[in-house]
Amino acid sequence: MRLRSIASTLATIFFAVVLLGASGDQARFTDLGHRMMCVCGCNQILLECNHVGCTYSDRMRQELTAAIQVGDNDDNILAAFVKEYGTTVIAAPGTHGFDRVAWIMPFAVFISGTVFAAIVIRNWKGGPRPPAAGGSGVSGGLGKYRDQARKETEL
Amino acid sequence: MILALCLIFAAGLLVYVFAPGVVFERVTDKSRLAFLEERKQVVYENLRDLNFDYKAGKYPQEDYEPLRASLEAEAAEILAEIDALNVHPTAWSPSSL
Amino acid sequence: MPAFGSFALILALALSAYCFLAGSFALRQQAVGIPSDRLAETARRAGIATWIAVAAAAFALVWAALNNDFSVAYILHHTNRDLPTPYKFAALWSGQEGSLLFWALLLSSYGLVLRLRHKVDVKLTAYASTILAAVQIFFLLLLNFAATPFSMVRGAVPPDGNGLNPLLQYPEMVIHPPMLYLGYVGFAVPFAFALGALIMKYPGEKWIHITRRWTMVTWCFLTCGIFLGAHWAYSVLGWGGYWGWDPVENASVFPWLTGTAFLHSVMMQEKRGMLKTWNVWLIFCTFMLSILGTFLTRSGVVSSVHAFAQSSIGEWFIWFLGITLVVCCFFYIRNRDHLKSEHRLESLLSRESSFLFQNLVLLAACFALLWGTLFPVLSEWVQGHKITVGPPFFNRVNIPIAMFLLLLTGVGPLLAWRSTSWASLKRNFTIPVIAAVATAILLMVFGVRPWEDAAHFYSLMAISLCALVTATIVSEFVRGGRVISRHTGQNLLASMVTLTRRNTRRYGGYIVHFGIVVIVVGLAGAAFNQQKEQELGSGERMELGAYTVVCDSYSQDDTANYEMNYAVLNVFKNGNPLGQMFPARKFFKASQQPDTIVAIRSTPLEDLYIIYAGLNQDSNKPIIKVFINPLVSWIWAGVFVLIFGTVVAMIPPMAAAAVPQLQTVRAVSMPVPVRSDPVGAGD
Repeated sequence: MRLRSIASTLATIFFAVVLLGASGDQARFTDLGHRMMCVCGCNQILLECNHVGCTYSDRMRQELTAAIQVGDNDDNILAAFVKEYGTTVIAAPGTHGFDRVAWIMPFAVFISGTVFAAIVIRNWKGGPRPPAAGGSGVSGGLGKYRDQARKETEL
Repeated sequence: MILALCLIFAAGLLVYVFAPGVVFERVTDKSRLAFLEERKQVVYENLRDLNFDYKAGKYPQEDYEPLRASLEAEAAEILAEIDALNVHPTAWSPSSL
Repeated sequence: MPAFGSFALILALALSAYCFLAGSFALRQQAVGIPSDRLAETARRAGIATWIAVAAAAFALVWAALNNDFSVAYILHHTNRDLPTPYKFAALWSGQEGSLLFWALLLSSYGLVLRLRHKVDVKLTAYASTILAAVQIFFLLLLNFAATPFSMVRGAVPPDGNGLNPLLQYPEMVIHPPMLYLGYVGFAVPFAFALGALIMKYPGEKWIHITRRWTMVTWCFLTCGIFLGAHWAYSVLGWGGYWGWDPVENASVFPWLTGTAFLHSVMMQEKRGMLKTWNVWLIFCTFMLSILGTFLTRSGVVSSVHAFAQSSIGEWFIWFLGITLVVCCFFYIRNRDHLKSEHRLESLLSRESSFLFQNLVLLAACFALLWGTLFPVLSEWVQGHKITVGPPFFNRVNIPIAMFLLLLTGVGPLLAWRSTSWASLKRNFTIPVIAAVATAILLMVFGVRPWEDAAHFYSLMAISLCALVTATIVSEFVRGGRVISRHTGQNLLASMVTLTRRNTRRYGGYIVHFGIVVIVVGLAGAAFNQQKEQELGSGERMELGAYTVVCDSYSQDDTANYEMNYAVLNVFKNGNPLGQMFPARKFFKASQQPDTIVAIRSTPLEDLYIIYAGLNQDSNKPIIKVFINPLVSWIWAGVFVLIFGTVVAMIPPMAAAAVPQLQTVRAVSMPVPVRSDPVGAGD
């Protein structure tokens, strides 16, 4: 039965995790498990994939446990996963090559937007005052209107 | 049966659309006075907000007075034009917008 | 009935095409001085009739669902005989074709309200109605030619349908999509008004006043839709969280961010006649981002758990987006002179510049989200292979941006329009800054270690900024309340109510800000989440934080519909019994789909969240996963505050006459514009 086999795998993983023993290994498992995606198409972080019937995440978690126990460093473990499951297994773009653009671009756009806005504001402040609506052809003798406005808006 | 239903439905809608009767809204352009009145309300609201915030202790007097003066000047220009239009309804040029 | 539905859809297309063509022709005639009021009226009525026809088509589909008419392919694929009635209604938006029909229905409903209320400004509404008809034509073309909801099953009609995905058989899932759609579709209305105002060179800013409530209602629906989705993910999907940065989740946030920016910056146009070009493009972009979101959901361009089956309708959306962009650019270039600013910015320290910067931050957040969502496609195009842009990316990029935004939420309301002096700044900021610093110190005293952990750092920053914003809001209410109290003699609380009623927009807006604060506090709690997974036999216990979970019993049920494994757990906190919890897992036999029944015990301080993760076949014991998720209920509470604030902001302010003590103003006589000449209108 499908549910049974899944539960069995889950249990294996559970024991594997327990057998990792040292809290350092547990922390690495949690850290690395959150830096990878489940590749079944559920779009979830590896350790958060909870699909009944997801054989990918179960297997991947077992492999991660084994790799940590063997003593591989983080980069090697991630590289091994990329080799086996493809580049989409890593949950965020890397910091090399074109992937760097992913990280730089949002901040670059924000900064250039700010600079652009600053330039616009400076030009605005320095530029000639645009004509205010309602001021056409009326000049002088505005005192009584000013008083009227004050009177009508006083609290 | 379905065909009849479709025909009745379509006929009903077509009658509704193409027999609007005699009463319908006329599409008119906004008058300059109406436009100025809108502007006046906006500037008045700004002035009231400023006065209220000043009374609430949000701004010191040295900030408040120039702000009020500039808003009142803006309001005065609008009021003057409203008055002028009320006396001489055609005394404005379209380019003033 | 399916034949009637198909006919109604064709009729709706014809009517909306007439509404568009006749409406455009009438407006063109009027622009050159030829009266065509009767034609314009038939166009308006055709728009109203479109709603009747689309509603009839939607009714036909729901009728087919309620009557188990499995000869309709859509009904066969999305319902079955035993499906409860509310979910049969929900079938209308459970699949591609039905949800497009639902979209068209909502669009025509918005159009109906707009056309019925045309007296508010007959000419502007005529423009908006014509533009809405054009949008309606697109959706009706899709429904008639690309995604027909009334396609018939070929061959023998099966006795029962495939049923609705069990994950969707949840009350929130009935409301979540309509709310999102109401939000998405609703932005078409301010878009139509803005484009109409640009085309006709509408004199003044009243169109903003007319569309303000539309935009707020739409924004509120979208917000509700987003958070209902989050709550559903939290309560049903059972992975312990509420937001996964899935492309479709992100897509719902694009228009929310730009819409939020629009709601703020539009005030600059209304009050100061500034940022006209910016605002027009903001609402154009908001509408186009709504369409882009739909395209992403339905084209299969990005991989998502929410995606509908990949289909060719993605191309239709791309064309529609392209045409919309071209139309917007054309009218902007032609009429851009009309959008010149009436005032200049007088100081960098002013409400105007804070709005400008806030807009910038919101757009940066939107760009970061859009960029991250589309980067896998770009990467595949440039590097030849797809990469994943998941939660670690979005958290790292968006959290700092969100911090900026929160800071501006606190700073903005304290700045004066036009310019603010340093003395004024000092006067207004002392208490909020003290509140923020005191909160930060308090949090560190209680064990938050920002120097050890980035999550702690952001959490401390977020909660401190929340204290700043709250202090700002409270000071605004108290100061305003005191003024009213001085004039009326009311107590402070009653004065604050009067204050809110006098300026519902401003103080309703502050309540919305407070809702955001409450939500952010809830989100900040995620930094302190704890979780543990353990095998738990009868009588065995597991401990996490202050909680102890003891397994009372566990069992299996096997029904005709599903298999279910569940555990009965006794829960204790600090040794005190809290009662029993029942996490379970179902596996539906017919659809071969799993369903998690999460057990949640929610308190204002934290949620105890328990999942039945599986059964160990060797030991025959259940594996239980326990989460402690601090402050999650604040998120849902914040949404209610936010909705309340939006409703307050939509209520018309108390008439000046109702507070005579405050109004020494004489009634302003409205000049009769009978003899005045017209303005604007394409001159």
